[in-house]
Amino acid sequence: MQRRVFMKGCIALGASSVILPQVSILEASEPKGKTRIFFVKNSYNLKHENKNGLTKLWVPLPQETSYQKVSDFKFSSNATNAYVTDKNSYKARTLYAEWKNGGEKLLEVTYTITTYERNADLSKATASTKYPKDVAHYLKPTAHIPTSGKVKELALKITENSKTPLDKAKAIYAWVTENMYRDNAVVGCGVGDAGKAIEQNIMGGKCTDISSVFVALLRSVGVPAREIFGIRLGSSRYSKACGSSDEKGLAKITGGEHCRAEFYLDGAGWVPCDPADVAKVILTEKMTLNDPLVKEVREYFFGNWEMNWMGYNTARDFVLTPTPAQKPLNMFGYPYAEVEDEVLDYYAPAAFAYSFISQEKL
Amino acid sequence: MKKWLILLLPLMLFAKEEVVIKVAEMHCPMCTTAVKKALKSVEGVENTKVTLETKLAVVTAKDGIDDKTFLEAVKTTGYEGVIVTRHHLKD
Repeated sequence: MQRRVFMKGCIALGASSVILPQVSILEASEPKGKTRIFFVKNSYNLKHENKNGLTKLWVPLPQETSYQKVSDFKFSSNATNAYVTDKNSYKARTLYAEWKNGGEKLLEVTYTITTYERNADLSKATASTKYPKDVAHYLKPTAHIPTSGKVKELALKITENSKTPLDKAKAIYAWVTENMYRDNAVVGCGVGDAGKAIEQNIMGGKCTDISSVFVALLRSVGVPAREIFGIRLGSSRYSKACGSSDEKGLAKITGGEHCRAEFYLDGAGWVPCDPADVAKVILTEKMTLNDPLVKEVREYFFGNWEMNWMGYNTARDFVLTPTPAQKPLNMFGYPYAEVEDEVLDYYAPAAFAYSFISQEKL
Repeated sequence: MKKWLILLLPLMLFAKEEVVIKVAEMHCPMCTTAVKKALKSVEGVENTKVTLETKLAVVTAKDGIDDKTFLEAVKTTGYEGVIVTRHHLKD
């Protein structure tokens, strides 16, 4: 008997009853700049030794915000069961699929995403630290984002001359971009263990490692901050280090996962940042903080995002739905799969197996 | 006496034990797979269940594998393990 085949045609993410927009009033009021449109295709053909084991796959889907809109969302699969959910503590949009029998395990996800350049207006920031409840959540520590001990000590030292939340954020951004460097030997985007990095003075890492230290330091001095896990979609106007595509706008984005960061200021809302890409430009372009390009990128990535990237979620140290055998998940920027209780290596797309492409509408 | 030993020999050869190892540094689901694979590669290990939430590896193995062998296997993943318990399993 053939397995049931799921076909979901043209389901707009925002219109689905299970996927609700998470746009706050402040996010929605942000100015919108240059628009870019990308067609994205994610293909899965899961491989593992235990072919007959119960196989479960959780795929991160882009969030709906003022700076990115999803349309023409579709998926098809030979899974026994597959559905979209955001039932988890961070409302991280997730496509879940499971295969109860042996044989091929296929899934294809396609959608169009329109992105808008983000440029925060920092002149609107106030010194108030009265935050809405959903924002105050991002002051709390997690397993990988501690806000006490050596993390707090360091944050207080960095911000000793800072008075307002904006001053503190500037000081921490300056410190992170001066002291942390990109280490290409780190697997994937890195684990993002800010406590370990600061306690053991591990200043080398990749995007999640660098963003997590930035976020932990900010939270430690009372500034709400969060990482955003996502993926690069196309070319950057600054450097190939920040994203690339061919002359027709096609980009093979498998392995292009990239973690960014945001912090919150009363009056200005969530402020986009990307300290990790400053480090990546320095390494890739073989430059220093004093080179003009790095100076420009460093200034730009405090308050701006060039939207050749899309964000999935801000989830850290949380439990997916349905509940996996292993929990909590430290971050959800990669597809996550289990065969019985064994986790597939999400850092090894060829072995997993998955592949992603992006085509920009030029 | 010899007769008894001969009769007991198959039981001794196939005796199993359950070893519980704490791997406190496991911090993500991928760590559990690495630890599981490392422990499964030990000769005589039959089954391994590793749980991130408890940070415990429960190993079923033939009798007589010493602590050091298990802990060295864990060490190949970059983590330190500590033996919590080990006890014989009844058939």
